[in-house]
Amino acid sequence: MIEIFTLAFLMLISVTSVIAAFKAIIEKDMVRAIVYSAIQSAMYALIFYVLMAPDIVLVYIPVSVGITPAILLFVTKKTERRDGD
Amino acid sequence: MKKSEICVIISIVIFIFSLAYITSLGGLGYLPPVDVRKLAQIYLASTYNPYQPTNTSSGYESVTAIIWDFRGLDTFFETAVFYGAIIASVAIYRGVEISSKKKSIGMSPIAKTVTRLSLILIPIVAASIAFHGHLTPGGGFQAGSVATVVIVLSIMVFGLRRLVQKGVTKPKILLLRSLGLIGIGLTAIGLVLAGLVIGVNAYIFQNQAKAMAEISYPMWIDDVLFGGSLLFFNIFEFVAVMAGFTLVLMLFSIEEEEVKKVIK
Repeated sequence: MIEIFTLAFLMLISVTSVIAAFKAIIEKDMVRAIVYSAIQSAMYALIFYVLMAPDIVLVYIPVSVGITPAILLFVTKKTERRDGD
Repeated sequence: MKKSEICVIISIVIFIFSLAYITSLGGLGYLPPVDVRKLAQIYLASTYNPYQPTNTSSGYESVTAIIWDFRGLDTFFETAVFYGAIIASVAIYRGVEISSKKKSIGMSPIAKTVTRLSLILIPIVAASIAFHGHLTPGGGFQAGSVATVVIVLSIMVFGLRRLVQKGVTKPKILLLRSLGLIGIGLTAIGLVLAGLVIGVNAYIFQNQAKAMAEISYPMWIDDVLFGGSLLFFNIFEFVAVMAGFTLVLMLFSIEEEEVKKVIK
């Protein structure tokens, strides 16, 4: 029973991460794309936690939700916010 | 969302799940066994083994033991590569000064007050991850990246100039970074140096006493599991990673006009 619940939860967060990744790719506004990418990374962190890799979770959350979006935001500020066609 | 986008997402999901199903059935090649493998058994048996003092890594946490004891040299060179990358960014931004004379603007008082609370809480979490790295999941790199979140927050909420006015300057961070790496190097050859002084044989990256080298870092201090060299490695890696990320973030957040004055 617990296994079925775990699998369903894994499926839910992996589908959410696919949707977030897709939105991040097609989004024209860079800041929104960065937020979508952070959502996708948060979902990955949840998957790592469910798959019993707490060491990876501890480094994945600050790097992918904190530092990478921050660096990308700095870069976006120095270039253009909207993606040209 | 448009209909075509929904179709694309659904087809991606179906593709991924069918690929996963085929892989789980063994359609893409040999599947490794599910039970605990021989190598993992060796690691688990020698991570904490007080009955065999020459075959133990003195910490409860296998991941930290593998990273800093069984494969310590590997992690040392990873840290060195990371150090080289940071040095390269510093070299690109050479001559760029962070002016602390102008007043920093920052965000609203509400954001500043909330951030002041997290400025105390996040370093405590980071320190607990670093100091308990050999007991619970965590370690130096994890703690360093958690601590860097504080720097991200303060640069975004208070402004970079405020940080510089408080004394977080580029030379100081660079010094901290170098101290972290020197600490890791000294911990690696610490027992060799001690062995030379007292005339005993020892290996580099040695943690506990071995058959031909009967010298070791402390495993227990009083009744606290000290973790031997693992604790030192975790603390120095914490300092090195935190200072490295901080340096890159500080360089990235300098205004474009200031950078363009120097780099043309």
